[in-house]
Amino acid sequence: MRLEIGNFHVKDAVFGDVTKFENGVLTINKQEAIDFIREDEHFTNVDLVIAKPGDEIRICPVKEAIEPRTRVGSDASVFPGVTGEVAAVGNGTTHALKGCSVLAVGMTYGSFGDGLIDMSGEGAKYTLFSETINICLVGDTDEEFEHHEQQKKNKALRWGAHRLSEYLGATVKEQTTEDKEIFELPPVTKRSAEVNELPSVVYVMQPQSQMEEMGYNDLVYGWDMNHVVPTFMHPNEILDGAMISGSFMPCSSKWSTYDFMNNPTIKDLYAAHGESVNFLGVIMSNLNVSLEQKNRSAQFVAQMAKSLGADGAILAEEGYGNPDADFIACFVALEDAGVKTVGMTNECTGRDGQSQPLVTLDIKANAIVSCGNVSELVELPAMKTVVGNLEALAKHGLSGGWEGDEVLGASVKEDGSIIMENNSMFCGDRVCGWSTKQMKEF
Amino acid sequence: MKKAILYINQFFAGIGGEELADHKPEIREGLVGPALALNAALEGAEVTHTIICGDNFMGSNEEEAVKTILGFLEDKEFDIFFAGPAFQAGRYGNACGVISKAVKAKFDVEAISSMHIENPGVEMFKKDLYIFPGGKSAAAMRKDTKKMAVLGDKILKGDKNLLAEVEGFYPRGIRHQIWREDAMPASKRAMDMLLKKLAGEDYVSELPIPKVDRVDIAEPIADMKSAKIAIVTTGGIVPVANPDRIQSASATRWGRYDVTAMARLEGGVFKTIHAGFDPAAADADPNVIVPIDSMREFEKEGRIGSLHEFFYSTVGTGTTEAEASRMAIEMIVQLKEAEVTGLIMTST
Repeated sequence: MRLEIGNFHVKDAVFGDVTKFENGVLTINKQEAIDFIREDEHFTNVDLVIAKPGDEIRICPVKEAIEPRTRVGSDASVFPGVTGEVAAVGNGTTHALKGCSVLAVGMTYGSFGDGLIDMSGEGAKYTLFSETINICLVGDTDEEFEHHEQQKKNKALRWGAHRLSEYLGATVKEQTTEDKEIFELPPVTKRSAEVNELPSVVYVMQPQSQMEEMGYNDLVYGWDMNHVVPTFMHPNEILDGAMISGSFMPCSSKWSTYDFMNNPTIKDLYAAHGESVNFLGVIMSNLNVSLEQKNRSAQFVAQMAKSLGADGAILAEEGYGNPDADFIACFVALEDAGVKTVGMTNECTGRDGQSQPLVTLDIKANAIVSCGNVSELVELPAMKTVVGNLEALAKHGLSGGWEGDEVLGASVKEDGSIIMENNSMFCGDRVCGWSTKQMKEF
Repeated sequence: MKKAILYINQFFAGIGGEELADHKPEIREGLVGPALALNAALEGAEVTHTIICGDNFMGSNEEEAVKTILGFLEDKEFDIFFAGPAFQAGRYGNACGVISKAVKAKFDVEAISSMHIENPGVEMFKKDLYIFPGGKSAAAMRKDTKKMAVLGDKILKGDKNLLAEVEGFYPRGIRHQIWREDAMPASKRAMDMLLKKLAGEDYVSELPIPKVDRVDIAEPIADMKSAKIAIVTTGGIVPVANPDRIQSASATRWGRYDVTAMARLEGGVFKTIHAGFDPAAADADPNVIVPIDSMREFEKEGRIGSLHEFFYSTVGTGTTEAEASRMAIEMIVQLKEAEVTGLIMTST
């Protein structure tokens, strides 16, 4: 498989008469874009807001982030099984607007898995999406069945954002660029002797799939990850739109669709391929809740890694708490199969830092990269502008917010300042590989 | 100038060794023994008082010792508390931990000690105070005291973010996130760790997994008909007066109670002091936790040789692994003396 991603670097984004990308500037005809989004009649209210790094803007509740893209020489959708028919991806040419992301933001309602992004100040050091130019799709929908539920599928908003990212990506469909990334990985059995002599490694991903009811979990080609057993994937599929994020996990642990499309661990494995490792590919697992399902997945992963001849593995979980059991079970199964494994996770050590870091531990999990503490308290001053509805952080059951606390008061203060748990920093622990945070003993 | 107070034992105060380990707590103005070295090493504080207590006195009369010492401190101004160094002396390590924990809780000041890694005080108290790895004996006095002083100065200056790996104290199990100064992303750290692990080179896991003590399953008892069986419980069953003052949670104390000639444990005579569950059923019938009634039947039926004359009891809720294993080691001495063949462990 050979994937070419043509990069178009967005230096600025503005509203204007014609939606186009020219000289590094993304111009959006706001009304046309809103009309396009409202083709989905579930929207009852839509606004578009541009938020740039350095702006005194706080965005909340954020549900999803996507890099705007388009396929070149093909009418196929960017997200097969989601915005279009199921079709193979990972081979061919895709164009991307870099440094830019489309965010799905609740105009009124927040939910458990939503997060917060500050575009400047102290809060901007938590998430990658403080560093991207964000096209915020802010909306209300008629999904009344879940307006007052803590868990929301947020389907219209998420799908709207996926469609908007294709709409914006289309501006560079016919353009050319010199900045190309090539991702090419030959079939496992058709590699040169030099490559085969290097240690063979797999990347084992455990995307979120804890919800038994459909509509909340991550999807592969539109298929719910709760309904899969671990499977072997070409890394290009993940970089090219096969995976989309869900609407469930406490937000700092979340991998947004943007994170899948740009997964830095895959890119680093690619960079090392042929130099220091033989990158076999990705084993896509999951994080189902029952013990039997966890053990089944761990067994599948270990068998597949072994059968592929993996000497080593990088294992990453999109979640904490219950998913720690999957993470450790899979770690142990890989080690027992003789596959030397490095895990990537975050921890839940409590506000005082004294709780057991993961729900379950095993002495075989002896190499872990640890990206953050979900329960760290974060206090931030008010921002000039709020995009969305900041009150949602306190009132709609976001994992890191609360309405009242005997000592700390509400998460959202009258002056607009906030106190929350790291849990609700949008994709804040960046376990997919971006994290510059690390856990330390104090 | 900030003020510090140091706790030491009777030996380092020059009072005497084992024969004087029952020495009652006292406080002296100024510097006694190790306080001289500590005072010299501290830059931002002076040691104003030295507290002295015999190790046995602290071990056997902990409550009284702690109460007396906290009383000494009520009218003293101090900003930080030191204890030891305790080197490899186990009872001294325990005393340093006990008093530091109590002083910290009551006066909201940080406490610093130093102990050799084999001192049981390390495992028991490293979560409660800063403990530095120290030497085996007093030969390391100056070096160990210096480490305590350096950290003390930093704390008194208001330094935050004191990392175990940088300062050198035993990790306390307090884990927080930091932003790496080199901004090295997780993916690169994982690649680096993987390549090292594949090559069999050393690497440092960012989440060290604590070793779990596993006890092998014992060999079966060959002849139950002549076995002497004892019951040990963490369910907190005690005579109603709780004569050994076993704590209802986070226990550090245990007791053994004679059941000679008792056919069963009577409610009103025995009860549970365990705070981790609803005690109603166990108070009404203590045999649901310590089944003396069933054991007597087994005895009559000849299924066991005999029931040991004592049952052993403590409380399991919130009790640390270190305390639990210390109590077990103490119980085992008596169980072996009584030639007990096997134990039945009951919880709640």
